Formats: sequence, structure tokens, C-alpha cells
Amino acid sequence: MIRRLLPTLLTLCLLTTLSLGQVAEAQQRLKTAVAEVLAVADRAPNKSVLPNRVRSVLTKHVNFETMTRRAVGPGWRQFTPQQQQQATQLFSTLIIRSYSAKFTPGEHPAITYLNASSPASGRVDVPTRMVYQGSHYNVTYRLERALGWQITDVVIEGVSMIANYRSQLDAQFKKGGASAVISSLNQSLSRTP
Amino acid sequence: MNPSDSSLRALLLLSVASFLTSCASTGSKPIQDAAAGQAVTDKKNQATKHTAPATDEHDDYAESDAHIADPLEPINRGMFWCNDKLYTFIFRPISKTYEFVFPKPVRKGIDNAFENVKYPVRVVNCALQGKFKRAGQETGKFLVNTVGGVGGIFQPAEKIPALAHVPAEDTAQTFATWGIGHGPYIVLPLLGPSSLRDTVGLACDYAGNPVNWPMLYWHGGGDWEHDWTMAPPSSNTLRSMPDQFSKYDAATKDAIDPYLSARSAYVQNRAEEAKK
Repeated sequence: MIRRLLPTLLTLCLLTTLSLGQVAEAQQRLKTAVAEVLAVADRAPNKSVLPNRVRSVLTKHVNFETMTRRAVGPGWRQFTPQQQQQATQLFSTLIIRSYSAKFTPGEHPAITYLNASSPASGRVDVPTRMVYQGSHYNVTYRLERALGWQITDVVIEGVSMIANYRSQLDAQFKKGGASAVISSLNQSLSRTP
Repeated sequence: MNPSDSSLRALLLLSVASFLTSCASTGSKPIQDAAAGQAVTDKKNQATKHTAPATDEHDDYAESDAHIADPLEPINRGMFWCNDKLYTFIFRPISKTYEFVFPKPVRKGIDNAFENVKYPVRVVNCALQGKFKRAGQETGKFLVNTVGGVGGIFQPAEKIPALAHVPAEDTAQTFATWGIGHGPYIVLPLLGPSSLRDTVGLACDYAGNPVNWPMLYWHGGGDWEHDWTMAPPSSNTLRSMPDQFSKYDAATKDAIDPYLSARSAYVQNRAEEAKK
């Protein structure tokens, strides 16, 4: 009986160990990313330079291509490679601008990392509790492993950034295809931040 | 002032007050609470159903549970636009003045006190949802903050692990727990994103908030201008404004379509609140 169960138990132990390993690895990667962003934000003399300063750090830790693809939705398949590249570039600029606007140089958020989980292989969700400028936020980072762990979505108070943009970009695609999506991204970026 | 003027004024006050009270009560409600993903071009104005195939294996967003019917979309968009203008030209300047006059620590204390007073709404809804342990936590938190926090101005309960981070319950969440769906999406005047279910919930929360009791139950008619009962709800409205505008901006500032962004955020946030 024990002999029969042994391989199953060993496999379970191995899977659990692997899962715990990937959770810890992803969480550490997130902590590194947050620390790097905060360090860059700290050195910035004012808010206006933040988007340019954090871009290189975010490009390293955030998978903008995946984010854009999912934000656009099924219509993505009908984009030409050039349109995909253009949409990714515009969407990443929008996200970086939006993200940078939330920071005030010199003010640090207090972040508590809660128990991370792995909803699927190669995917880890890291919930955090953040206190910034006196306000409390529940923020979950979704990371996926491609060429290393990268952030693919940020969920603030239950609101997924990607799901939110998808509701808007999918509507744009249905209205006028890839060109409508690109045009709407351009319009959004042209508005004063 | 004739009775109809009084009623009208009370109604206006009610709506303005809940704009902030209810919003603040749910953490990230009405405004930032925005609502959900559905195609603008859906001519049938049916519920958002992303039945299209996913873009990859981890693309869950196609099956997001944040659906809401928006049969009133043209009217809702009009109301959304009107609200935006009202915020910009009337309420934002008021909010800025409040922020200028009261420094942040003072505002924080005022917020804490108003949230503490709303304890009956939270505890009753905990009980109605069968969350009796949480009702106990709410009671403990209320007692500690009221006694040790000078009437709730300070929050010593936040330093007690068992009483910190207790999710706030409201009537709309109770309805959700009972299996009642959103119904149609509604953009309320001044209050912003809501739904039929949540609007009823909001009215119940308003009636259950002790801050509004003097105005709702003790005002015997007569001259509103000299009636102190209007002061607590008005103050509650005013103190909630900065936080609500911050949330509204977060949902709409970098949006492609602010209306859809607000709707998506509302529905997602409410779904998350109901899960807690």
C-alpha cells in the first residue's frame, strides 16, 4: 500500500516545492522592481521627469507586450505586426505616465507583502497592502514567467488595470478596428496629463 | 420657505450628502467605484459578455465576472457628462477650499470620526450576511476607537491585529450575498456610478447612518436655514470630497473612454467588495 502511494506522495511534494519556489522567486522579483522604482522616484527632482526616469526600470520588470495584447483583446490577432508594435509603444507610454503620476518624489509608500499564491504554473499573484500619503490600498501584482518574472497586471482595490482598459479598447476595436484603437491611444496621450 | 421648497432642499442635500458618505463608506465606491466592461457599440445594450476567445492561456479578462447591463447607456453618458461638469465647476473648488483650510492630519481625524459613527450600518450588514465574527470585530473596533480614540478621531484599533483591516460591509453587499444581481447600471446625479441594486443599498445605508438621523427623523419641518440637523450630513459630504475626487480621477484621468473606465472600475470594485 505504502509502496503504491509513495510515487504519488513524492510527486505531490515535488510539485509543492516547485510551486513554493516559483512563488518566492516571483515575490522577490517584485520587491526588487518596487525598490528600483522607488529609488528612481527618490532621485527625481520633480514629478514631470518621472515618466522618463522610471521607463527603463519598468521596461525591465513589466511585460508591456502581453499587457497590450490582453488589453486589446481578441481583436489583437487582426493587428498587423507594425500595428501591434505601435499599439504596444503607445499603451506602455500611457501606463508609464499614469503610473508615474501616482508618485510624489520623496514620499515612500509603506508596503506589506501578503501571502502570494500561484493560480497556475508560471503565474504568481502577490497581494500587498499599501499605505501612501495616509490612504490605504489593497494592491495585487500579477506576475508571469517568460524571460524571467515580469508584471503583467496590477489590481488596485479589485480593479484590474488590464480588464479596465480592455473594456475600453475592445469597444474601440469593435467601432473601427486596429486603427481606431491606435487613434484612441494617441488621443488619450495627447490630453494634458 | 414653503414646504415644497423644504422638501426640495432636503432632497438635494440628501443626494449631495450621499455623494460623499456612501462613497467613502465603501472604501472606493461610487466614483472610483466605477463600472464595467461592455462594448460601447453593443446596440442591444445588453450585459457585458466577453465571449470572444482569449488571446492566450493566461488571458482571464475575457471571462471577467464584472458584468453589468447598461440599457440606459445614452442617458447614463449624459448624466456622466453633467456630473463631470458639476464636479469641475462647483464641487472641486469647494473641495480644494476644504483641503486648503484643513491640514491633512485634521482631515484624517474628521474622516475617522465620521466613519466610526457609521458603525450601525456595518454591523447590521455583517449580521444580515451571517458574518457574526466580523460583527463582533466591528463592535470591538467601534468601542476601542470611540473610547480610546476620542470619539473615533483616532484609530487605536488599527494597532490591534484582530481589529485592523476589517472589511466594511454595506447594504448593497448584503443584497449581493443574498444573490441579488446588479440590475441595470445607473449613473446617479452627483453620486456617479451605481446600479439599481446598489442605489437601493445606498438609500438604506443613508437611512442607517446616524449622521443623517437628526435630519431624517428629527426634523419637524419649518425653516431649514436655521435647522442644525442639516449640519452633520453637510459636513459629512464636505469631508468626503477630496478622497472621492482622488478616486474619480484615478478612474478617468488616463482613460480611453472615461465613461467605460468608470463603469468597469465600479463593477470590478463592487464585485471585489462583495467577495470580502
